[in-house]
Amino acid sequence: MSFTSLDPQDVVVSSDSTISPMWSNSTLTLNAYYTSSTQESSTPGTFYLDLYQTASSDTSAAVQFSVAYGHISGSGSAYFNPSIPSKTPTRDIYGQFRTLIYGDENGQFTFGTLPSGSKDIIVLSVNRARFKESFNPGSLTLRVSHSGSSNSIVLTDDSTVAASSTYIGTSRVYQLLSGSANNVSSSAYTVSGSYGMVIPDEGLIILNPRALSLSAGALGGVGAVFNEYSSSQAAAAGLTYNINNRMIYQMLSSSAVVAPTCSLQNLESISSTYFFVRVRNSDYNYTTNPTVIDSNGNLLYSQLIYNPQTYITTIGLYNNSGDLLAVAKLNKPLVKDFTKELLLRVKLDF
Amino acid sequence: MSFLDNQLVTIDAVLTKKGRELMARNDGSFQITQFSLADDEVDYTLYNPTHPSGSAFYGEAIEKQPLLQAFTDETQMMKYKLVTLPRGTSKLPVLSLGGNGTITLKQGASTTITPETLNYLGTTKTNEPSGYIMTLADSRFGTLVGTGIDTTGLNLANPVPNSAGTNLSVSQIGSVFTITATTLNQFFGVNALPGAAITTTITCVGRDSGARLTIPFTITKI
Repeated sequence: MSFTSLDPQDVVVSSDSTISPMWSNSTLTLNAYYTSSTQESSTPGTFYLDLYQTASSDTSAAVQFSVAYGHISGSGSAYFNPSIPSKTPTRDIYGQFRTLIYGDENGQFTFGTLPSGSKDIIVLSVNRARFKESFNPGSLTLRVSHSGSSNSIVLTDDSTVAASSTYIGTSRVYQLLSGSANNVSSSAYTVSGSYGMVIPDEGLIILNPRALSLSAGALGGVGAVFNEYSSSQAAAAGLTYNINNRMIYQMLSSSAVVAPTCSLQNLESISSTYFFVRVRNSDYNYTTNPTVIDSNGNLLYSQLIYNPQTYITTIGLYNNSGDLLAVAKLNKPLVKDFTKELLLRVKLDF
Repeated sequence: MSFLDNQLVTIDAVLTKKGRELMARNDGSFQITQFSLADDEVDYTLYNPTHPSGSAFYGEAIEKQPLLQAFTDETQMMKYKLVTLPRGTSKLPVLSLGGNGTITLKQGASTTITPETLNYLGTTKTNEPSGYIMTLADSRFGTLVGTGIDTTGLNLANPVPNSAGTNLSVSQIGSVFTITATTLNQFFGVNALPGAAITTTITCVGRDSGARLTIPFTITKI
């Protein structure tokens, strides 16, 4: 016998959550952002702007997240076709994320407890390879400044103070408040609602332009005024890119006050299957290893005839066809003889 | 008082190339149902029955040996299986493929192989009741059909034709195997002349004895 069947109770499936730094090279905090002029001037650049952790020409450059401005009426960018001036990239963006989150073409993004919705949004969409499965709620620290001024606020999500999880449709949502990771400094919303929302399971941070455009100080904004050119005005101005996307990039990367900061962790569930390999005392005490036999199959050592010893180094997991599907190696040979029984737990991650 | 060692040994497994292929097929063929053990990398000439410290140290040199990490090529792992045999066995089973130390076929030609096990359970030569698993290391190079063993209850998946792509292995269960060399020219060099050869391997494992034999399989261009 050279195979042993696994009983149903020998196979156990388990899931564990792992938390890691969000950005490339396991970096927790981004202190600088870079863009690609090639990407910005391309057709996708009219919709979103990719942000890198290093110069885009660098071989290690990787998109960390993308920023996009969306407007319910399509303001802020040029039309696709002059005969249909209401269809613009910013309108596409607003509709795309409204459908994704609200699933209702008549809905509007509502931040905090405001009775009415917001006509525009700023989307920070984290690259899938970075956020893996989800943001780790409570881990966000995002600094937003107004380019060219000393106005700056630091934002985090309210997962550490919210009484319960809030859902919009199937999307788990946390509101953005003033504070840093695991430390909300003020639970109060601005007069224009919260600073935005975090949708951890979709890798999205949606900022509220109306809150950010409030004056600094008592009102709590940074005084950022976004461009709301009509599509015709934007076309007449010769905008070949989304002017608000660049403004958002400048708001995130401005070092007018302190260094730009975006700290975040990802969360991933790893499902593992554990196989309990039970080796009875009478099993697997002989080997087909050619170094233990001569050319006729005789054991080289008479001591191994009645007291055979083998040294387990490898465990193979097979299907019924005899295909080797997975393999595990021990870190050193494990002695097996007629006086030993073994229980080995083999873990296979998916 | 001293404590007993209650540590459970946990080992991380990796999927083999074949495992990933079957998982991607999503046809139920990725179903781990059995395990086997092997002592790959162990050199039993290091076993020292004259060790001055006594029998507890005969295997000292082997037990201290560091091991390599697992390879994901299924044809490079589990080469030397551990087997269960009656205590007192002095002669270990070895396989014979009818005297074939190598198989060479012309393109499109076939041959039949009937494996036999020598020295198994007191017999000089026998065909194992559960048959054999034969693996063609590169399934692009030919087709392999095993017959003679009832595999009805095993829910085996049909092998997927693999005339292109990468060098995936294919396994069959049986007591008699027919192997047919590919007729395709694409695996030979662009300017290969008739008589040019390509080679892969065929591995046969006794399902009962665990005995294993690997031989080269060569196809010549016509």
